[in-house]
Amino acid sequence: MDFELSDNHKELQQKMKDFFQKHIAPRASKMDISSSEKRLDLMRENLDRLSQVGYLGLCIKEDYNGNNMDFVGQCVTAEELAKACASTFISARASAFLFAYPVQSFGTEQQKKAYLPYIAKGGKIGAIAYSEQDAGSDLLAIQASAEKVDKGWVINGTKDIVVNAPIADVFLVLAKTSRKDGESTASGLFIIDRDTPGLEIGERVETLGLRGAPIAGLDLKDCHVSDEALLGGTPGKGKEQIEDVLEKGRLTLSAMAVGLGVACMEMATQRAKKRVAFGKQIGRFQEVGFKLSDMFTDNDLGRMLTLRAAWAYDNNEAEANILASCAKLFTSEALTRISNHAMQIFAGHGYVKGAGVERVFRDARFVEIAEGTTEIQRVIIAKSVLDKYLPR
Amino acid sequence: MDFSFSDEQKMFRDTVYRYGKEEIAPLCEEADLKGEFSYEIWNKFSQMGLLGLPFPEELGGQGADIVTCCLAGEALGHAGVDGGSLLAMGAHTYLCAADIFTFGNEEQKKKYVPRLASGEWIGCMGLTEPSCGSDAAALRTTAVKKGDKYILNGSKTFITNAPVADVCVAFATLDRTKKHEGIAAFIVEKDFPGYSTGQPFHKMGCKVSATSEVFFEDCEVPEENLLGGEGQGWQIALTGVEWDRSTLLSPMLGAAIYNLELCAKYANERYAFKRPIREFQAIQHRIADMKLFIEASRLAIYRVASSKDNGALLNPLLAAVNKVYVGDVGFERASDAVQIFGGYGFMHEYPVERNFRDAKLGAIGGGTSDIMRFIVSRIMLM
Repeated sequence: MDFELSDNHKELQQKMKDFFQKHIAPRASKMDISSSEKRLDLMRENLDRLSQVGYLGLCIKEDYNGNNMDFVGQCVTAEELAKACASTFISARASAFLFAYPVQSFGTEQQKKAYLPYIAKGGKIGAIAYSEQDAGSDLLAIQASAEKVDKGWVINGTKDIVVNAPIADVFLVLAKTSRKDGESTASGLFIIDRDTPGLEIGERVETLGLRGAPIAGLDLKDCHVSDEALLGGTPGKGKEQIEDVLEKGRLTLSAMAVGLGVACMEMATQRAKKRVAFGKQIGRFQEVGFKLSDMFTDNDLGRMLTLRAAWAYDNNEAEANILASCAKLFTSEALTRISNHAMQIFAGHGYVKGAGVERVFRDARFVEIAEGTTEIQRVIIAKSVLDKYLPR
Repeated sequence: MDFSFSDEQKMFRDTVYRYGKEEIAPLCEEADLKGEFSYEIWNKFSQMGLLGLPFPEELGGQGADIVTCCLAGEALGHAGVDGGSLLAMGAHTYLCAADIFTFGNEEQKKKYVPRLASGEWIGCMGLTEPSCGSDAAALRTTAVKKGDKYILNGSKTFITNAPVADVCVAFATLDRTKKHEGIAAFIVEKDFPGYSTGQPFHKMGCKVSATSEVFFEDCEVPEENLLGGEGQGWQIALTGVEWDRSTLLSPMLGAAIYNLELCAKYANERYAFKRPIREFQAIQHRIADMKLFIEASRLAIYRVASSKDNGALLNPLLAAVNKVYVGDVGFERASDAVQIFGGYGFMHEYPVERNFRDAKLGAIGGGTSDIMRFIVSRIMLM
């Protein structure tokens, strides 16, 4: 038993941290408040910078120009990037993980070769499109359909809140594969290039936080793709494939929550040291000091839960998925508490536009919602426990 | 990085779990209702060698590492052994005997550790006083050197095991003006002139551990019973804290696992409105939170234990994190368990009731949650 990170992980963490602090963090505020055009430019540049340091190839195997980092390594770097700029993290993750991971895990050799090396090196930006206006956690409720035609598929439907849609070169799109009466449960993921006729990118969606992350909906009208576009080549697997990527995605979302939590804690601690009221540092009042202490506890336990879950996947433990849900549940709720504490410690000065804590406060609210809400995580965890103790 | 237990550790945990479940847990309900120290349970601990786990075999122990000690506490709590019995074991082994083992000279170790490890003698540790708890450096019990003896005067309170203890590791000050540097620890036997204990307190929980005051009235302690050096008392007390943040918390983790099993079974079998209550999300919500607490506190506890095994100095921040989380959230989860059982949960006959009362100690004993937060905030502001 040893809770310390390996030297390799520590080295990677330090290298990435130094890079992010120098090249990404200073632009985080601009990424939040600039015009939409400017924010798109900044993000393209940031992704380019990340490709230079190898971040975009972390979860891609060496055969496809990646660095083949394990989940523990992905988590320690995710925390650092989210801390530097959460918008950039979310955009990078949509391409380098949400798109790349299923292509690598389920794609044909031809599909992997066609996309992964470009994602790793930043030549292409990827995105994943599964949720719709009326379907999120309940994936089977999607309406998008893929109709089999000679040598290909015709796809129809709409997708909303797709991270990277305004800048992506290629999309993974979830659609029902054998829908004639609207009752089908079979689905597939389709790799669709941006310039495919029938694919239209909607207007950019503006969001509460993560305003640097380019988000838009997709409209697919008789969008014709070849047989080779179906991920893995076998229809009917889309839902499992999405569930797999979302399950493992909880790891880096948890790491993101910790990164933002640490950012809040560091800002609030500095504030509590500098600000004096009634003749003493405000941190020395227990109402403030104890909040700092709770922030530390939440971040510390959250990081441990995240790395524990990542290690469980790296070592093929049977309960890894439950540990990942525990990490996502804990870190996301912890972040809401932490960011609230941070705002409270800054008080009026934190509520002002342009204050770092104001941006992070808005960014933070994302994690409890994204890719399996806290409510869904509780249901997943509870069912697994309850099923273990069913009467025989 | 490696979060796994060795096969040997896992086997030991399973053995202790089975023993606890078959031999000890059936005695606990009655013992708790009586609210008295149980020699029957004590002897069960002793027969299994659980009272001297971390000491070497030549001193009557089992030579176990700290992670294994924690696994034993977790396994016994999980098996349904009450928090009071496990507190008695913890205070005896990790606060009294471990202090003598770590800081005692050869004669002291040979005289006391084997008798404590076997359970023949029961140990307690006296630090807290009526007017100082978390602020332990302000203690008022005095020690004055007179010839070849130290004369102790003062009193201690909330001393776990005091009414039944044969040996007390007691802290006193040789010079109050020196504050913590004036403190020394003494090994006091119950028969030393001037040593006495009060009536056991009636407690809310952990009732099977006997707790009382300890009085020193011109208590004569032979100079060879000074533990460590004259100014070393504070260091000895702090070492106790290291044990407290791992081995003494692990039974609370075990009790949470026990509670979760009881609740999961109940939620599967109990029907309301024609369906098992597991189908109601308010029940699921609590089950999920209990599971989350178990996973997080397991990490927190074994991190401190394994770092102690690996020879690292205790990081006060991480130790405080353990204490705050296990104490505060553990109590909330124990309350959730009572809620799942509804009216039954309010009855003594259901272990979730006992676990609820026992869990409250987590945020109080060995340094309150408040003082933990205070420590963390002060370090952060440095």
